[in-house]
Amino acid sequence: MKSPVVEVCNVQKVYGKKGGNQFKALNDVSFSMQEGEFVGIMGPSGSGKTTLLNVISTLDQVTSGEIKIDNVDITDMGQDELSDFRSQKLGFIFQDFNLLENMTIAENIALPLYLQGTPAKNVDAKVMTVAKRLGIEELLQKYPAEISGGQKQRSAAARALVHEPTVILGDEPTGALDSKNATSLLETMKDLNDRQNVSIMMVTHDAYSASYCQRIIFIQDGKLHKEIHRSSTRELFYKEILDVLAQLGTKNA
Amino acid sequence: MLLKLSLAGMKGKLKDYFVLLSGLVMTISVFYMFQTLSWNTEFIKSNAMIRNIQLVFIVGSVLLSVVTIMYMLYTNTFLLSLRQKEFGMYMMLGAKKKSIKKIMFVETMVIGAASLVIGITVGIGLAFIVGYLLAGQLNITLEGYQSFYLPAVLATFVFFIVVFLFTALINHIKLSRVQVLQLIYSDVHPDEMPIQKKKNSWLILLGLITLCLGYVSLIFMEQLREIGLFAAPTFTTLGTYLLFIGYLPVIVRRIQANKRWTTKGVTSFTFAQLNFRIQGLTKILATVAMLIALGAGAISAGLAFKNSASQMAEMMNVYDVVIKNPNAEEKAILKSVHFTEENQYRFKEDADYTYYLRDDLDNQRPLLLLSDGKKPKFKRVTEALPKGKISLREVKNPEVGQQLSDEWARALWNLQTNYREIKQTIVLDAETYHKIQGQEMLMYIGKSDKFMDYLHEWQEIDMLVLEKEPNLTADDLTSKYSFYNMYSSFTSGTMFMGLFLGIAFLAMMASCLMFKIVSGASKDTSRYQMLRKIGVRRSQLSTSVYKELFIIFLFPAIIGLTHVLIGMNMFSFIILNPYYRIWVPIIIFLIIYSLYYVITVKLYKQIVLPKE
Ligand SMILES: Nc1ncnc2c1ncn2[C@@H]1O[C@H](COP(=O)(O)OP(=O)(O)OP(=O)(O)O)[C@@H](O)[C@H]1O
Ligand SMILES: [Mg+2]
Repeated sequence: MKSPVVEVCNVQKVYGKKGGNQFKALNDVSFSMQEGEFVGIMGPSGSGKTTLLNVISTLDQVTSGEIKIDNVDITDMGQDELSDFRSQKLGFIFQDFNLLENMTIAENIALPLYLQGTPAKNVDAKVMTVAKRLGIEELLQKYPAEISGGQKQRSAAARALVHEPTVILGDEPTGALDSKNATSLLETMKDLNDRQNVSIMMVTHDAYSASYCQRIIFIQDGKLHKEIHRSSTRELFYKEILDVLAQLGTKNA
Repeated sequence: MLLKLSLAGMKGKLKDYFVLLSGLVMTISVFYMFQTLSWNTEFIKSNAMIRNIQLVFIVGSVLLSVVTIMYMLYTNTFLLSLRQKEFGMYMMLGAKKKSIKKIMFVETMVIGAASLVIGITVGIGLAFIVGYLLAGQLNITLEGYQSFYLPAVLATFVFFIVVFLFTALINHIKLSRVQVLQLIYSDVHPDEMPIQKKKNSWLILLGLITLCLGYVSLIFMEQLREIGLFAAPTFTTLGTYLLFIGYLPVIVRRIQANKRWTTKGVTSFTFAQLNFRIQGLTKILATVAMLIALGAGAISAGLAFKNSASQMAEMMNVYDVVIKNPNAEEKAILKSVHFTEENQYRFKEDADYTYYLRDDLDNQRPLLLLSDGKKPKFKRVTEALPKGKISLREVKNPEVGQQLSDEWARALWNLQTNYREIKQTIVLDAETYHKIQGQEMLMYIGKSDKFMDYLHEWQEIDMLVLEKEPNLTADDLTSKYSFYNMYSSFTSGTMFMGLFLGIAFLAMMASCLMFKIVSGASKDTSRYQMLRKIGVRRSQLSTSVYKELFIIFLFPAIIGLTHVLIGMNMFSFIILNPYYRIWVPIIIFLIIYSLYYVITVKLYKQIVLPKE
């Protein structure tokens, strides 16, 4: 039986101070994500996707509502608890790679393990395993400045995976990649999802990237707009996504 | 048009320009402070105890210039880094390289001129305040010292105009060589890559050799004389730079390679960060080490001169006070002093002779000074006094006289209070003594546990003596205090220079290091943000910053203090013991330096770890 890994209940996020210039970026959003799901979040620019991902990833706090990850309510945790939670339960892949350019790829990937206090002798093996899985084992001793964008993104994915987090969160992970590299990363993510049952939530603009997901949540103006499930082939799903986007577009216009 | 754009660009980085400007102002003002003394030859000649003081200042000027140029080169790189991305964008949009270069040149010169004017003004202010405070603290009057000194203003002006032109030229060349893309992506590669396995051995070897040469010249300064005065700073400076450039990255890499230390939690990041930036830090850290050496050295030298006055006094007299017939007032003062030894000797005197009672001398044998030229040592008089009945007629006969033993002759000589009334002393047995006409008097001598603790008391006693005997002047007194006073008036000028320069150098050091760390901080911000995102606690990051900066602060402190410890040898020909209480200035320095470390950490943290 599958259990929800992420539960979002009536979440509101208001930017700006009370009495000042307030802006409701998320308005009563609720949904849940099951273990082993690959969920996409789509919507027009400024609709609140990044905001949603940020509150789920504990980087930002909700104004009201509740978010549970792995049955733990993250909305009332202290800063240190949140840090520990992030380092243990979450893996991140950001649009702009966010590797530390002062560390080698191996050191970058190993960082989450060090943070958890994994003994040094186990670290190398784990790094190697995940690097092999992502096909970057040749790059381990290089610095981020010495590798390509696609390789960087795969390294970032390796870092997000190495400590076997409950959920991997990505904000436009393919945003800075060309189609070949994007496809390769998406295939990897899908593979991880299929075989290792890793739960993934990804924000994306791009219908092609989104078509790799099993389910897509559309948001608009901070509200849940629609949800679609993939039922058959990826190509059909891709068309379906385009349809919804077209709808959103005409509504906007 | 482009000029307007670039002015707008400057506005966006006001904070960085503020850092840049304050760095420049600090350098210029310190340079100026140094020049106020350096060019005021009359003042330094009449106030210094060092014969070659002029040379010391010339060498100091050269050293300071080297350090200043290093610092300026660094600030200049910073200036360029502030602008290059923007310039790259203009060029991509079609601006000509020529006009970009022109803007950069104008900007360098405008910033230079502004900082020069502010810097000299601040320098004059600082020179005045430091001079005033020091003179007040040291209780000295500074005749001929001028905080606003025209030659110094001119020297500072000329020097910095040349330096600014030079840096503008460097920018010009750099911009000529650089590609548009390099400019645009300049902040993607904020630091140089850590060197992989480049052989630095020859650098290290050369550094070690030159440093050794420098140290040897410091230690044998007395024999090498003028050669040493040039060789010591040249080799020491060169060696310091070479060692920092060659060896520091190797050390850091070694530490990083030690997996046991560097894989716990966020330390892996700390050391990676350190390893990564150390390459760009070596020169600035060498500069800091030199400034620490100069600053702490100058202060130590100043204090050593101050200490030398008390040591000299200790070498002159055993007893802190020698009073003839202490009166009530004097007795009251004596009571407030904790003496380890007090003796009183009865005596009588006439126009030519002083007659001491033998029994008193025998019962309270005084101490004598045995000097090895370094430390005062004491010995109690053990030799015998003239025995039996002493014939007055015989001892007054110039042909025969009284044959006192060597020790006793010296001991009795020490019982004088002034140079004026030196009489021949005669030791008499009780019977003969009592027959002498005249009033019986008392010679009081006392030795306290700490001469320096009772300076005020000694001074009062000397004043009372002068009141009692109006025909004496202060110069006639032979008291330990009067000697101390005379000697410290010689040394105070030298001490003033030492402390003044020490403060200036340390201020420059602080500004240098602070500048380097704060100016690099905004580039590090994204890394710390990233770490926050993937779940590193704030407290862990804070610890990481403390650790990283600690190591950065540690190296120059170690090297700088080693320089001081060895360099103090230099003064051994003029100060009795230059190492006397050397820990005092060193501890003072360490306290200031630690405080400064904490402040830098706080500043850095404020930039890279903003409040949540
Ligand atoms: N820190 C902030 N302060 C105030 N308003 C903000 C802040 N961050 C985002 N917003 C606003 O909230 C809304 C949602 O922003 P968000 O970044 O979530 O959009 P997005 O869906 O990720 O857009 P895009 O697809 O362009 O990345 C936007 O209108 C934005 O202007
Ligand atoms: Mg976004």
